[in-house]
Amino acid sequence: MPGLFTIAKKELLDIVTEKKFLLIFATLLIVVLVSTFQGAQNFMEMSSSSSAYTTLEFSTSGNNSEPQIKTLSIGSTNLYWALYSMVKNISTVGGLLAIAISFDAINKERLSGSLKTLLSYPVYRDSVLGGKYLGGFAAITIVTLTTFMAGIGVFVGVTGTPLTFDNTARLLIFLGMSVVYLALFLGIGLLLSIVLPEPSTSLLAAIIIWLASTQLIPNLGWAIASIVYPFSFTTSGNIGKFGPSSAHELLRKVITGISPSASFEQTVSGILSTSKMEFSGYTHVNVPISLGQALMTCLPNLIYLVALLVVVFAACYVTFTRQEIR
Amino acid sequence: MYRRMMAMSTIIDVRNLTKRYGDLVAVDHVSYEIHEGEIFGLLGPNGSGKTTTILMLVGLINPTEGTAVISGYDVIKQPLEARSSVGLLPENAGYYDNLTARQNLSYYADLARVSRVLARKSIDELLDLVGLSDWKNTKVQAFSRGMRQRLGIAQSLIRDPEILILDEPTQGIDPEGTRDIRELVKELSKERGKTVVLTTHLLHEVDKLCDRVAIMKQGKLIALDTIPNLTNQIKAEEGADFEEVFLRFQGVM
Repeated sequence: MPGLFTIAKKELLDIVTEKKFLLIFATLLIVVLVSTFQGAQNFMEMSSSSSAYTTLEFSTSGNNSEPQIKTLSIGSTNLYWALYSMVKNISTVGGLLAIAISFDAINKERLSGSLKTLLSYPVYRDSVLGGKYLGGFAAITIVTLTTFMAGIGVFVGVTGTPLTFDNTARLLIFLGMSVVYLALFLGIGLLLSIVLPEPSTSLLAAIIIWLASTQLIPNLGWAIASIVYPFSFTTSGNIGKFGPSSAHELLRKVITGISPSASFEQTVSGILSTSKMEFSGYTHVNVPISLGQALMTCLPNLIYLVALLVVVFAACYVTFTRQEIR
Repeated sequence: MYRRMMAMSTIIDVRNLTKRYGDLVAVDHVSYEIHEGEIFGLLGPNGSGKTTTILMLVGLINPTEGTAVISGYDVIKQPLEARSSVGLLPENAGYYDNLTARQNLSYYADLARVSRVLARKSIDELLDLVGLSDWKNTKVQAFSRGMRQRLGIAQSLIRDPEILILDEPTQGIDPEGTRDIRELVKELSKERGKTVVLTTHLLHEVDKLCDRVAIMKQGKLIALDTIPNLTNQIKAEEGADFEEVFLRFQGVM
């Protein structure tokens, strides 16, 4: 495609020299470094105390008897708990950065009149779109790599956790997923800049989508699931359980799964969960989760994110190539 | 002169070009030929369809009906080939304010796949030609409207095209700048052999510049000829200037 790399190179240079980019990038870097440092310290504390828990299951032997603790599943000292804040910050601040890069990629040029000049050159519109996206993608990759390296550096430095083959593979998949996730927000910003004529409108629309993805849909999922399936004490045979039912969890996951941010966090939490600690009766059991198992668990979310990225880019392509430039 | 032009080959061939926006017909079955080396004026009041016609010629708008062929290439079927021979100065053209004049031209030269060595030479020559040599390393955000138009003309020449399409090249420019641009267009046509298609509201400029003119009204082509022939057609009094001729065609006088 003639002109693709020329446009991408210019786009990348424009992005990395813009003040808004540098400001959000610096914020993301600082927030990730601080939160990863805290996460690493918590990780070390948890390694020694193992105090967190998520689900309490217990059994009853009769109608009037006291319930007996049967099983307690606890959040173990795995990579996810240590890097939870880093994942959360990439999900929120990273998404915002991706939007900030692309929300005015096309409509700014259309308003200034430079798009007409650009498209009068012997370049396909695919090249313009691809170049803009590629430039933004390169910027996003630089951001993700830098943030990731810095965050992992702090984590390893503080905890002394060895980077085994398994850990490294999980971290690399986390890195790849972060790039895919941010590329999706980049695409959403680009699509809005094609569809909406004013940069201020596309920025507003992009922020609304970002808020819906990071806050509204996850909260809504929790609220709807809690209304439809409230927390309750349930028994199955002689096993009793207090907390969200499996139907509640399923409904919550289905609703929150619509949100790219929640889907990204669910995927990464699955990948980074190296083990799950359980105990039967009163004995702790550390159950390792292999990389293969982790990948299988988060495969639907992974496919959803990639599919969403493809759909958004296809929408950009169809809209832009058919648009009249006046 | 017209006979000389007739002997030249057709470089732009427009046949029944039409553009509709719902019920509005912006360009209505317009047909004309433009010959190699001529300066062709496309005239008409605001909303007459001049800019829409130009945007269809460079493939930025798809025609509803009709065809346009540039240098033997259909603008719809072979857009890249057709655009390769055209340099466009769009109406209200914008440039990259964060780049200098030289960087802007260098970017366009890259897009046009002009070699680095040739581009460096051409950029200096073009900036000199349009009188921007002293500002070549100044960011475009500091440029006045006239300087931007000059940069636009340099931009349209960066790939040394056979055809120059200039949409309102003198819009918002002072008389001195207008004269400079007029002289530049003349030079490009007569000395460098460029075919120039231009739209303008400055009718006295047309009188001094154009070999032939097409007059448009409400999307329709209402007249197409040399200025002396058009003057004869409406039997204007001796000494009537082109502005008067134009207004009579528009039905204003």
